[in-house]
Amino acid sequence: MYAFDYQRPASVKDAVALSGDETVFLAGGQTLIPTLKQRLRQASVMIDLGAIPELRGITVTADTVTIGAMTCHADVAMSPDVRAAIPGLASLAGQIGDLQVRNCGTLGGSIANNDPAADYPAALVALNAVVHTNTRTLPAEDFFTGMFETALAPGELVVKVVFPKPRRSAFAKFRNPASRYAIAGVFVAETGDGIRVAVIGAGPGVFRIPAMEEVLTKDFSVAALTGIAVDADGLNEDMHATAAYRAHLIGVLAARAVTSLT
Amino acid sequence: MDIKGEQFIPVPRQQVWAALNNIDVLKQAIPGCDSMTRLSDTEIEATVTAKVGPVKATFKGQVTLSDLDPPNGYSIRGEGKGGVAGFAKGGAKVRLTDAPGGTTLQYDVDAAVGGKLAQIGARLIEGTARKLADEFFVAFTKIASDPKE
Repeated sequence: MYAFDYQRPASVKDAVALSGDETVFLAGGQTLIPTLKQRLRQASVMIDLGAIPELRGITVTADTVTIGAMTCHADVAMSPDVRAAIPGLASLAGQIGDLQVRNCGTLGGSIANNDPAADYPAALVALNAVVHTNTRTLPAEDFFTGMFETALAPGELVVKVVFPKPRRSAFAKFRNPASRYAIAGVFVAETGDGIRVAVIGAGPGVFRIPAMEEVLTKDFSVAALTGIAVDADGLNEDMHATAAYRAHLIGVLAARAVTSLT
Repeated sequence: MDIKGEQFIPVPRQQVWAALNNIDVLKQAIPGCDSMTRLSDTEIEATVTAKVGPVKATFKGQVTLSDLDPPNGYSIRGEGKGGVAGFAKGGAKVRLTDAPGGTTLQYDVDAAVGGKLAQIGARLIEGTARKLADEFFVAFTKIASDPKE
């Protein structure tokens, strides 16, 4: 690890004021710390977001679940309020990485990093969540812009994410048994705007499958998914799975998610 | 790893060929290119900072042009060292053909990385290479189509 200065501000305003060239925000550190340790990244100042109370916490209302950016995955997975309001979201948080990752890794860190295999982007897109930063609000689909890329400007911080409560939702994931990264994951939600199906792990970033959404809107059953082929073109290919394998897996996982809801 | 694609550029072939041999155009189009210096007709020295997700590494290396066949295409190969991050090398075969209203640029890219980058990023190398290739050809098309060039 290269040397850097360390700051631990107590407010979002102070954190943003500290940011500049070559500074990094530290959320849960599950990607950033290993990268720094390997010297694949050099930082001038690390701005630790761990002492900012306004970034933490879960609030549930009649229509929404709001989760602070620095809330760790384990807190979301174990929250009785989230489990009651959006069981699919609690279940997704409980499947991220391993116990250590879930107790350190955060919602804000996960979505700001936007790893193609990160789980949360599927929930945000399928549930049509709204991302609140320190300067603006934007729908999840506009927030995620590509592989490891988001709409965040330099120095802009995710403050919280507001999830509208769906009628029902479920997440099905096929993970690499060693790294526990998703080889593919599918989040199916019946929302106020209709059925939404979002996929992670299989492509360069999260994406929806309109063909599945259309047939599930007419008939919410596994049978309806029969014959919907996912195009393998542009999907990820690595030593663990070919693009064609991932395309097939998306169909299998979508069926599992639908089965768990019917 | 192998990435093939093609891109339509709405200007004549001769103009696309000139842009492919103009290091100012290449410098603007290569994602993260900090500097480019021509050493000879076919050799270029380049510094490129690649930023993908949490990783940021600066590569210094040489780029060589070969199989020059004006104005039909060439091969471009580069190899760079990124200090502790590892190394990257790759190349592209570029073919130009006339198309109605412009030129079709076909490319066939191969790339490889080694060292720590390869260990940590194995699951992401394909996606990264595809993304960088896309960014390059989109930027190149835009610059080459600019009437000022």
